[in-house]
Amino acid sequence: MSKFHFKVFGLVLAILLFSIQMIGVADGSDPVHGGTLKVALPAELPALDPTTNTAAVIDRVFYNNVYQGLVRIDRRGEIVPCLASSWEISENGKLYTFHLKTGVSFHDGSDFTSADVKYSLERVSDPTTAVPHPEYYSNIEKITTPTVDVVEIRLAESSSTFLFNLARGDSVILPKGVEDISTRPVGTGPFHFDNWKEGSSVSLVRFKDYYDPDLPYLDKIIFEFMADVNTQITALRSGDIDAIAYLNSPENALTLQDDENLKVLEGVTTWEVILAMNNSLQPFSNPLVRKAINYAIDRSEIIEGVTFGFGKPIGSLMSPTNPNYIDLTWVYPHRPTKARSLLEQAGYPEGFSATLTLPSSYALSLRSGKIIAQQLKSVGIDLQIKKIGWGQWLQKVFANSEYELTIIGHAEAFDISIYANPDYYFQYDNPEFAEIVKKAEKEIDETRRRAYYAIAQWILAEDAPSAFLFSAPSLPAMKHCVKNWWSDYPIPVVDVTRVWKAK
Amino acid sequence: MIGYIARKLIELFLTLLVVSLIIFVVIRIIPGDPAQIILGVNADPESLGLLRHKLGLDKPLSVQYGNWLAGLFRFDFGESVSYHRPVSMLILSRLSVTLPLTFFAVFLALFLALPLGIFAATRRNKGADLGVIALSQIGMSIPAFWLGILMLMLFSVKFNLLPAGGFTEWAVNPLGAIKSLILPVLTLGLIQSAALTRMTRASALDVLTANYIRMARSKGLDERMVLFKHVLSNSLVSIVTLVGLQVGQMLAGAVVIETVFHLPGLGRMLILAVQQRDLQLVQGIVLVLVGAIIIINFLVDVTYSALDPRIRLG
Repeated sequence: MSKFHFKVFGLVLAILLFSIQMIGVADGSDPVHGGTLKVALPAELPALDPTTNTAAVIDRVFYNNVYQGLVRIDRRGEIVPCLASSWEISENGKLYTFHLKTGVSFHDGSDFTSADVKYSLERVSDPTTAVPHPEYYSNIEKITTPTVDVVEIRLAESSSTFLFNLARGDSVILPKGVEDISTRPVGTGPFHFDNWKEGSSVSLVRFKDYYDPDLPYLDKIIFEFMADVNTQITALRSGDIDAIAYLNSPENALTLQDDENLKVLEGVTTWEVILAMNNSLQPFSNPLVRKAINYAIDRSEIIEGVTFGFGKPIGSLMSPTNPNYIDLTWVYPHRPTKARSLLEQAGYPEGFSATLTLPSSYALSLRSGKIIAQQLKSVGIDLQIKKIGWGQWLQKVFANSEYELTIIGHAEAFDISIYANPDYYFQYDNPEFAEIVKKAEKEIDETRRRAYYAIAQWILAEDAPSAFLFSAPSLPAMKHCVKNWWSDYPIPVVDVTRVWKAK
Repeated sequence: MIGYIARKLIELFLTLLVVSLIIFVVIRIIPGDPAQIILGVNADPESLGLLRHKLGLDKPLSVQYGNWLAGLFRFDFGESVSYHRPVSMLILSRLSVTLPLTFFAVFLALFLALPLGIFAATRRNKGADLGVIALSQIGMSIPAFWLGILMLMLFSVKFNLLPAGGFTEWAVNPLGAIKSLILPVLTLGLIQSAALTRMTRASALDVLTANYIRMARSKGLDERMVLFKHVLSNSLVSIVTLVGLQVGQMLAGAVVIETVFHLPGLGRMLILAVQQRDLQLVQGIVLVLVGAIIIINFLVDVTYSALDPRIRLG
């Protein structure tokens, strides 16, 4: 297919999918105010500052509950107003003018103004702050504050990812000159930080001066750190907790679904599990081989075996939670005979053998690995499974690209651009793809941008630098009285602003 | 005796010094860069360098070790990178969970094991003996986490008598703290009592066949006196050895129990600290644990001579 065809195809798809985005949140009853919600989190909070530590659990606790940014990601994965009530982007895409909400105060009582925005964004842009991703802000040329409720951000280059980056947990707004948010978080969210019992729980309390007087519904929320899934389930069944933020083990979702006192929400996450191939090594440098592998894989069998039927198949590196997502799972249906003939064309009529390196600490990788080894065997590809520790995986596979095949989950939201980096561990060098992604990242017109991303997804699906397997399920579990919980996790958060507990 | 204790103390100090060096080196040999873990796999290299500098990881290892050691002499264990609090404070707060847990579990284990073991020994190869042996065999085979989950299912889910894990702080509600420790202590104590019962039975059997027991019985001594005065006290040496080992094991090894009952104990903090490569915290915890085990060994040694004057302190 020529380059032109790609585009037309992608465009048509994008327009088709553009209109079916809205997912309503219907829950018959009216919200109830008050009550304490206890939620189990499988991971323990290692620190409190979401701007200088990447641990996802920090965002889960604080994002939009305690800390807010100018914009935020809502439950549908869309970027919506938060501390900025509206914004304009100049024609050339280089000047963003944010109009701030008025009457907003921080948990320490001070008023929220444009000076706080300037301070917070300059703080994360300052190299001495040592934030994980300075590249989110490196494009900022200048921040000015014409009035207390207007902020102008001038960019060096137009960028469509800038707003998304501002919506991340990394970009939350802190009060100007804040002393130490690593011990005492201060934000503008509906809950203020109450107490962190290291190793056991963190509690947040309703912020009485929140700018939306109707929110939040809950008086208090306590996140309990429970590493063991059996402990979580026992605590939920005995009534000690009200909800489990996400079930790490899908097999337990099945038993919880059978419990009439509980409900399990089946949504998707940004966690995309892929079979990565080293595109710089024979035979994976040959697109025919990569396609053959894709035809040999039966995604529904993998999902059945690995996540017990929860989770959704994917055909490219884009989570179904992303507004730019298009369904490309039909590109490679399960066709073992086709796989064999492609292998023959590629010069491997007898198949070949390869090593599948798996990180031993990730159950989803190990389980997928066993099933895939079985599936590829049926077309003549013999896989030796080699398990290594996570530290070794980072060193060998991720940093040095010393591997043939591996299975791993990519958790970062909106990460398709990693395939545009030829040095990334995929060793995938496709200038055409890199160019499309670059265009998408610069395009500020939404329809055109979605079209570019559709093309980018199509190229990945067709050219198959990896085999894209599935998006891991979200699986929050809770009592029936807990209402309005997010079923999808378009970013790793547990936003309880609009969650309530029915009487 | 005083000379012996003084010598032991000097030994203890030197051991700790060597141990501190080993801990320091080992933690730095295991793969994983603290800055990389804090900032994530996709982090910017410049930020990584800056964070390493902030954490003092770019200094020569000898300087890092010297600083840590100098702090130790002032009882300053350094500051935790993740919690932003002094390591000594963090360890103390976790000990308020781990110490009672260990202490009560050992107490329960002894309370069950001593009478049961002696009882079984006196009825060697009879039904009661076989029953005790079977029970202790089950106790030794059951994984602690599984027994913990069964306890939770029974006492928390079914009867709703006790909390399903978690810990109420002593300062907030002492009764609540005790309540949250009941099931963990029961689980840990039962498991530990199994091995202890066997050990008690075996040593009591040795003693029961000794001549002085036959002597005591033949001079008409009450059987209870025989058992508790002669049999128990003479079996204690090997039991004390095992208890000493168990306490050391439980201080750090109760982590399974801590996870099942999600108690904020020392073991779980150690695991998180290792995952986060919070070097100061790992060093501090391991040093305290090793210190505790050395001290327990010392106490066991001293107890030997009290229990059995034939064992000379030399």
